[in-house]
Amino acid sequence: MTQPAAELVTVTIDGIAVQVPKAMTVIQAAEEAGIVIPRYCYHPAMSSPAQCRMCLVEVKGAPKLVPSCVQRVQDGMEVRTDSPAARKARRAVIEFLLVNHPLDCPICDAAGQCELQDYAFETGQLRTRSVDPKRVLGRDHVTPDVLYFADRCVLCTRCVRFMEEIAREPTLVVVQRGDRATIDTMAGELFEHPFSMNIVDVCPVGALVNEDFLFKPRAWDLDRFPSVCPGCAQGCNITLDTKENRVVRAKPRPHPEVNAFWMCDHGRKLLAGWVPGGERGERLEAPQIRDGDRLVAVSWPQALERAAEGLRQAGGPGRAIVSAAAANESLYALRKVMQALGFAGGAFRVPTGPTAVLEGFPKLQLRAERVPNAVGAALLGFRRSADLFADLRGRRGALLVLGDPLHDAPADFGRDAAFYLYAGSVASPAARNAHVLLPVTTFAEMDGTFTNFEGRVQRFTQALTPPGMARPAWVALSALSSRMGSGAMLDSAAEAFAALAAEFEPFRGMTYETLGFGGRITEAAEGAAAVTSGGK
Amino acid sequence: MRDWHPAVAAAEPSQKAERDPAAPLFGGVYRERFERILGRYPTKRAALLPVLHLAQEVRGWLAPETMTRVAELLDLTPAQVRAVASFYTMFNLKPVGSYLVQVCTNIACDLCGAGKVLERFLSETGTEPGAISADGRYTVVETECLGACGFATAVLINDRFYESVTPENVPALLAELP
Repeated sequence: MTQPAAELVTVTIDGIAVQVPKAMTVIQAAEEAGIVIPRYCYHPAMSSPAQCRMCLVEVKGAPKLVPSCVQRVQDGMEVRTDSPAARKARRAVIEFLLVNHPLDCPICDAAGQCELQDYAFETGQLRTRSVDPKRVLGRDHVTPDVLYFADRCVLCTRCVRFMEEIAREPTLVVVQRGDRATIDTMAGELFEHPFSMNIVDVCPVGALVNEDFLFKPRAWDLDRFPSVCPGCAQGCNITLDTKENRVVRAKPRPHPEVNAFWMCDHGRKLLAGWVPGGERGERLEAPQIRDGDRLVAVSWPQALERAAEGLRQAGGPGRAIVSAAAANESLYALRKVMQALGFAGGAFRVPTGPTAVLEGFPKLQLRAERVPNAVGAALLGFRRSADLFADLRGRRGALLVLGDPLHDAPADFGRDAAFYLYAGSVASPAARNAHVLLPVTTFAEMDGTFTNFEGRVQRFTQALTPPGMARPAWVALSALSSRMGSGAMLDSAAEAFAALAAEFEPFRGMTYETLGFGGRITEAAEGAAAVTSGGK
Repeated sequence: MRDWHPAVAAAEPSQKAERDPAAPLFGGVYRERFERILGRYPTKRAALLPVLHLAQEVRGWLAPETMTRVAELLDLTPAQVRAVASFYTMFNLKPVGSYLVQVCTNIACDLCGAGKVLERFLSETGTEPGAISADGRYTVVETECLGACGFATAVLINDRFYESVTPENVPALLAELP
């Protein structure tokens, strides 16, 4: 990234010299040097009130310690973050913070992911010197989903500033003062905001916790997987935190151009508790083939053989329905099946819902389009349809369905098709009309990519083990198409994507490696989007 | 009249506050004063403290509804108003009697017997600290330093300061209030 040459200065931090832009603060420069200066109130996306005093460092020549979150770098500056004076100051801050802190780590949700715990362990003292009893404030809801444990709070005001500067709805404030000061809303009122749960993420301690997560998993029991939120077309970068093959929560993964440090509550609620199987309990776990009125579970080779044979015999103009929540790789694999059958027409639909904008980072919106890959489906040649079932009526031949759960389909859906292949994760009544059902994974159980609203192709990774015999759709469908003489059997998601990129112009030149985890904007969308940098 | 320290001579005489918890915010002369306050500041938010004082003058205390109304007037959220109102001890967050008697019990006054003065005020008015007396006239509270350490014990009744108060002159002092 070459900006209009920012003036660089050289600063030395704990003996490590780094060249950084002049506008940087010491705390940011230290990160460039690989040193994380302890902090509570500082957050890179918000203003720095310099009130927690945790980031005090020694600057050579300065008469006293300076807060590194607001101190700008100067050429030749020599900073020590670990000098005796800096350590002593941190120790004192921790001691004050712990005067009234309950030290209830064993029952605190933040244990294991708590900056107070970490620094208290690192610099704190074994015993308090305070002889007075700790004041007790208790806990209360601040939103219907978020609880505030006042006794654990270090009053860094990150949540207050999030609501004021990022959400632009200053509903959280510090009330009272001194040792009675707490974070609160207007007396007795909860507030609601579509991005409210970000206050839990910015909280450096266990003061703000998500009620949904409360007392369930421990942070150190979680596995974390980089992913992309499937809740809308925004494509927020997230991590899926899982335990025992269940997503226990989704957290935003910073991306400067897509979602900054944030994600919306809609996405979090969609993903918390995401299990292979789904809430309807009708998850498709084994391939099934039709035997008269019955569906019979069979092996993958049997199902694929039957599907290849049935499709070949069906002939005539085929039709396809895909889900715009399917990965690019899966949609591509279906294309190969369609090529083998000699037809191109396929459609998808886009469920919509109300939108919400994050005022302080307006590029982040809960988009009306509640699917993650509508742009990808369109780029891969599928057509957006306003009325999927009306479009299909009265057409015979082969019917391919990928991913769409068809919960609202008419009871006789697919009955008029010469051969009906359903590849999905839900065995809905309409899916059960199929001649062959192939169990495929949801996004959380596979590697793949989505193309977000601005055409940014972003990778997500497998976080859960698929249930039963379910496989990623690109595995199942490439196995099918290779049987039918169209394309090769694909061995990995990376390979599937490379094959897609070789064939579809907008994705030309992209590979999993070049995408990284910042994603890249497709050429087709590049002209339209102002920002094209690939992130990290 | 007792010979109070000259410093208090210029202070307003204690008035029996005529407060109406249901009075509009702001009507009549108070509307004018409100407008004048707004005119003094570059932003509405900056006017919050004086407007809260004015609201308290009109209604006697800052009920949640009062704070919400002030928030509307100043384009703030009710929470922001509560943050400020709860920070400063000069704002009453619950109802008080017609006379709010604040007895300094900080170190200097305490050494000179402020505790006894406080006790006398409580017994004379028949109230508990922070409560309203049965006749609705008095609320007696402790307060932090009133800045009159040389004239302990310092007492503030509504807007008027009293210095060198002893337990003995409490009854006369109360009797003087209209």
